[in-house]
Amino acid sequence: MSAYGKVTPEIVEKFKEIAPGRVYVGEEINDDFTHDEMSIYGKAVPEAVVDAMTTEEISAVMKICYENAIPVTPRGAGTGLVGASVPIAGGIVINTTKMNKILEYDLNNFVVKIQPGVLLNDLAEDCVSRGLMYPPDPGEKFATVGGNVSTNAGGMRACKYGATRDYVRAMTVVLPNGEIVKFGSTVSKTSSGYSLVNLMVGSEGTLGIITELTLKIIPAPKEVISLVMPFEDLASCISTVPLFKKNHLDPQALEFMERAIVEKSEKYVGKAVYPKVLDGVEAGAYLLVTFDGKDMDELEVIMEEASEIALENGAIDVIVADTPPKIKDVWAARSSFLEAIKAETHWKDGLELLDECDVVVPLDQIAPYVEYVYGVGERMGLQVESFGHAGDGNLHIYVIGDDQISVAEFKEKADAFFDEIYPEASRVGGLVSGEHAIGSGKLDYLAQAEGATNMDLMLGIKKVFDPKLIMNPGKVCYKL
Amino acid sequence: MEILVCIKQVPDDSVNVKMNPATGAPDLSNITPIVNAFDTYALEMATRLKEAVGGTITVVCVGPDKAKDAIKTCLAVGASNGFIVKDEVTDTISTADALAKAVAKIEEAQGVKFDLIFCGKETTDCASGQVGTMLAANLDVPVIPNLVDIEAIDGGISAKQETEEGYNVVEAATPCVVTVTKPAYDPRYPTIKSKMAARKIPIGELEVGGVAAAAVSVVANAEPPKKEAGIKIQEETIGDSMAKAIAMMKEAKVF
Repeated sequence: MSAYGKVTPEIVEKFKEIAPGRVYVGEEINDDFTHDEMSIYGKAVPEAVVDAMTTEEISAVMKICYENAIPVTPRGAGTGLVGASVPIAGGIVINTTKMNKILEYDLNNFVVKIQPGVLLNDLAEDCVSRGLMYPPDPGEKFATVGGNVSTNAGGMRACKYGATRDYVRAMTVVLPNGEIVKFGSTVSKTSSGYSLVNLMVGSEGTLGIITELTLKIIPAPKEVISLVMPFEDLASCISTVPLFKKNHLDPQALEFMERAIVEKSEKYVGKAVYPKVLDGVEAGAYLLVTFDGKDMDELEVIMEEASEIALENGAIDVIVADTPPKIKDVWAARSSFLEAIKAETHWKDGLELLDECDVVVPLDQIAPYVEYVYGVGERMGLQVESFGHAGDGNLHIYVIGDDQISVAEFKEKADAFFDEIYPEASRVGGLVSGEHAIGSGKLDYLAQAEGATNMDLMLGIKKVFDPKLIMNPGKVCYKL
Repeated sequence: MEILVCIKQVPDDSVNVKMNPATGAPDLSNITPIVNAFDTYALEMATRLKEAVGGTITVVCVGPDKAKDAIKTCLAVGASNGFIVKDEVTDTISTADALAKAVAKIEEAQGVKFDLIFCGKETTDCASGQVGTMLAANLDVPVIPNLVDIEAIDGGISAKQETEEGYNVVEAATPCVVTVTKPAYDPRYPTIKSKMAARKIPIGELEVGGVAAAAVSVVANAEPPKKEAGIKIQEETIGDSMAKAIAMMKEAKVF
């Protein structure tokens, strides 16, 4: 490990010259900068926080940090779930949330240029108001797009449109030595050497700081319709998933959810829209499917075909959300799962007794894997909740500590739980993380799954960008 | 019970509407038309009543041809018949007049007399809240506005009417008009079967003719004033903060 320099009062003064009124030290640092949304991986207080406004400011700050070997953790809205934006090696946090301008749309090439601190919600709404769509649709709408790019966030629409990576065309990056470089271009094809853009996507701030992004956008689909398909049990629910594509239907989003978590979420949202009993049959699990198309006539045909497939495969009925308010309501329950879980968690010693994993498994392994996970949870006496993107096999599995357990006990139990379920995901052909990334929280499991050679390759790449290992130390590919 | 539910197609009110500087009017071009939310509550309440006591629900909408989509939506969640009234209306007086004339025509066409006419208490686009009451006046029948619940009693209905303080229980003989506000439940969702069945129901087209002239004309449209940034009060103690807030409100003559 490198010997890191300290942020001395002289260095703070230099930062203040670069970003006047936007440098915070000691007591001035808001507690938010010490953690992300998953506090169980630990908190860490930075020596200073700099609210950056421009690429040039970040470059000037980085030069100072490079000369003095000061660790730098870039941070967006702090909505991550793996500790990636927590400054575990000390040093400074560069906060990009004030770089929140949508700079320009280029509708000849269908791209939009933005600063990295633009919130996903703001970009999505701005696109919609222009008849456009930025397809990546992660559940957390108040994350920054820079953060989405840094984790290759996925979301509900990944099923049809792919993840964030598929929409990043070009970027401006400040390298650890302060040099400003541009990767990629607005063009849609490239066969031009190693893809530096794609190395940056999903690198969680370990290679450089993204200060401007050029993103692909598409014309917004004219019409959208969502279907809620209740099934008696999870197995028949999940076994329906591959049938849509096999029958040439291309859902925009395809989510599965079990009744218990739907009820919890509806209670949290304060609105019950999912039918629990239909014709005397109890629903045990639901599929939520969204289709888009150019007009309602086209969608009605799709809706009928999809419903027929589901009904033949055991759906009790199919409920149609065909107006914007109804679509919003059926998705509100799905989008609030994490908040609904968090509303009932316990806190001990300032830490939330909640841990999660977001493995991704082959589609035909979803049902057996979820059953397996519940079995492990039950054996260990842990409360387990799960839901996920059925269309791409990405599962979100949460373990929740009760009010009796201590932090140490909870961590021990959660670790034992994950020590069993990660290898099982690998065994069935899955990966450690579908969209939440690695940070510090999942590093051991990534190392286990990838093996020494792959981890050495990743660390080697990091060292080419960051020879002094000052960019977000202890994340993704090596431990402190 | 023979029930008529009056609906209006309005722009989706869950999105922000911007002004079109070229026309000086709200730009509705990219906004999905939907059934007025209060009318969906009215239809749900009517459907629950029908399920309790039997009967038929007919839906009527004054509007352009594309408002048939709104009627189709209703046919999948409780209504059995739908009519569109194509006469042009521009204010509440002309709308209520067209509806009153349509009631007679629909009754004649279907060979029934409506016992109960449901309206939403207001629309989410114009929000004048007048049509239901004007319609009752035109038909010369009683009206109970702002219902949150209804049940059939001998020779009429008993209704729970929302007030500022709670609710009144009001009874009326049928035929009568009721207007509906948000009840304790949400409108049901269509199922694939009900939607497919709805598609097969023909929608009747009416031109009632001789609709009363509009008495209201639009002089100008204006955007609502932008919300100003708030003032942060952060004194040493909570008591000091409260005192400052009260002093500021006094100065602004809030009370």
